[in-house]
Amino acid sequence: MNNFALGKYVPYDTWVHRLDARVKIIAVIMLMVAVFFPLSTWSMTLLVQGTLLVLISVILACTKTPLHSILTSLRSLWVMVLFLLLIYILVPKAENTLGIAWSVNGWTVYWDSFAEAARIVVRLVMMIMLAMALTSSTKPLDLTYALQWYFTPLKVIRFPAEEFAMTISIALRFIPTLLEDALRVMRAQSSRGVDFAHGRLSKRIVGLTSLIVPLFVSSFIRSEELANAMECRCYDPRGKRTRYRKLRFHWGDLVAFLFAGAVMAGVIVLSALHVDLFALMGIVAL
Amino acid sequence: MKIVEVKHLSYCYVEDKFALKDVSFSLEEGSYCCLIGHNGSGKSTLAKCLMGLQPDFDGEITLFGLPLLRKNIYAIRSKVGIVFQNPDNQFVGSTVADDIAFGLENKCVPHEEMQSIIERFAQETGMLDYLDREPSMLSGGQKQRVAIAGVLAMGPDLIIFDEATSMLDPKGKKEIIDLVHRLRAQNPKLTVLSITHDVEEAARADEVIVLNEGQLFLQGKPEEVFSHQAELESIRLETPFFYSLLAELKKNGVNVPDSVKDLSSLEAFLCR
Repeated sequence: MNNFALGKYVPYDTWVHRLDARVKIIAVIMLMVAVFFPLSTWSMTLLVQGTLLVLISVILACTKTPLHSILTSLRSLWVMVLFLLLIYILVPKAENTLGIAWSVNGWTVYWDSFAEAARIVVRLVMMIMLAMALTSSTKPLDLTYALQWYFTPLKVIRFPAEEFAMTISIALRFIPTLLEDALRVMRAQSSRGVDFAHGRLSKRIVGLTSLIVPLFVSSFIRSEELANAMECRCYDPRGKRTRYRKLRFHWGDLVAFLFAGAVMAGVIVLSALHVDLFALMGIVAL
Repeated sequence: MKIVEVKHLSYCYVEDKFALKDVSFSLEEGSYCCLIGHNGSGKSTLAKCLMGLQPDFDGEITLFGLPLLRKNIYAIRSKVGIVFQNPDNQFVGSTVADDIAFGLENKCVPHEEMQSIIERFAQETGMLDYLDREPSMLSGGQKQRVAIAGVLAMGPDLIIFDEATSMLDPKGKKEIIDLVHRLRAQNPKLTVLSITHDVEEAARADEVIVLNEGQLFLQGKPEEVFSHQAELESIRLETPFFYSLLAELKKNGVNVPDSVKDLSSLEAFLCR
């Protein structure tokens, strides 16, 4: 479960945890938009993206997500970094603002390529950090309810928002149960001589079917019994229901919403108007 | 008042293979009835029929004076609670509180009233300290107690236990049975139908129904039913310790008076 860090809820009671899940979702989307808006010059990119990186790091730090789980989810980016660098170096770019890195036999590589790759990597890092801040501070169930709230208008076109939320919440509820089932079947099959970890790939795939088939059978039995239990407790998917969990909107949520909105608006304005703060201040920069 | 009336109930999963065949019985308000029988004797099918989960049965089922028909099904289900065998497969909510709330949400209980109802029944089942726990952090017995709390929160007049203790360890089993007895002591109008393998539990019931291969085999008060030791043995059911002891004593010429109803009074009688 260690590589499951992205999306793992960390139970603390910080201000980020207390924010309304609906606000958190929209705020994360707005900050992601801000992260992805291109800026006119490199110095501005450095300034704006740097500010955003600090901001997002602070938010993530506020959720008290353990550092090692952040690093674990960022570790998978290494492949991406190497790949991007390779692409940008091999595919020459016409723009030259930062100077030539090297030029061998007509193969010219500008520093821009490195900067471009770095920018994309930093953007990805920020994306992952934002997603982590959201999932580590919000219970999956609250996220589900928040999504349901956003889908409610779609009821007009008969989108089953409530059934959708019920399905997701049951799926989330049964993840540990099915995982336990899987482990049990795996142990049972291992004790009968199935080897899941060694041997040729084809053999391992055959071994895997001996895990998947019993798992399917048990999940079908579970779902049948669960459906019966829900029906017996008067569940009617089309009927009217009241809600025990309610999402509440506080003034703090408004502040968070406005703040994220302001950040997004600021970046969009800087980007759309090609503002160069350095030039305005008379500093000659790149 | 008759809470449950079943007349000539038959049910087949596969054509001409009867899971239940011509079963008739009734339950009085406030009674505690145990339904015993071997695997495949039709016990669980009977429970499913009573809950309206098998609508295509033959015969007549009347609950609270309402015939079990599609149009009555919600009215009936809101008065009948059922606790199933597998603790995991009836845990709908993601936490204890959510699970108790599930039935309330379905019954459209206003949000403001839910918390106090949830706390009351969590208290009654001893789960008040666990309201925020997720099911994976609970034992089987605790999950069954949550299931009972969820059923109680809906204010049922009849609770069916469908082998609710068979997947629990002895401690969990005892806790659940004690809880059922406590609930009945608190609310004498509560009718309980317990489907079980456990003949010792049946010995404490008001009424015992024995099913065999889908048919009613024996029915009556525990002392009547368990006096038919030979018949019970023929369908591989044991007799509770107390009743086997009585039979043994009788065989050896000890005449135990009818006033002796349980082990402690038997002990007093023998040691007098």
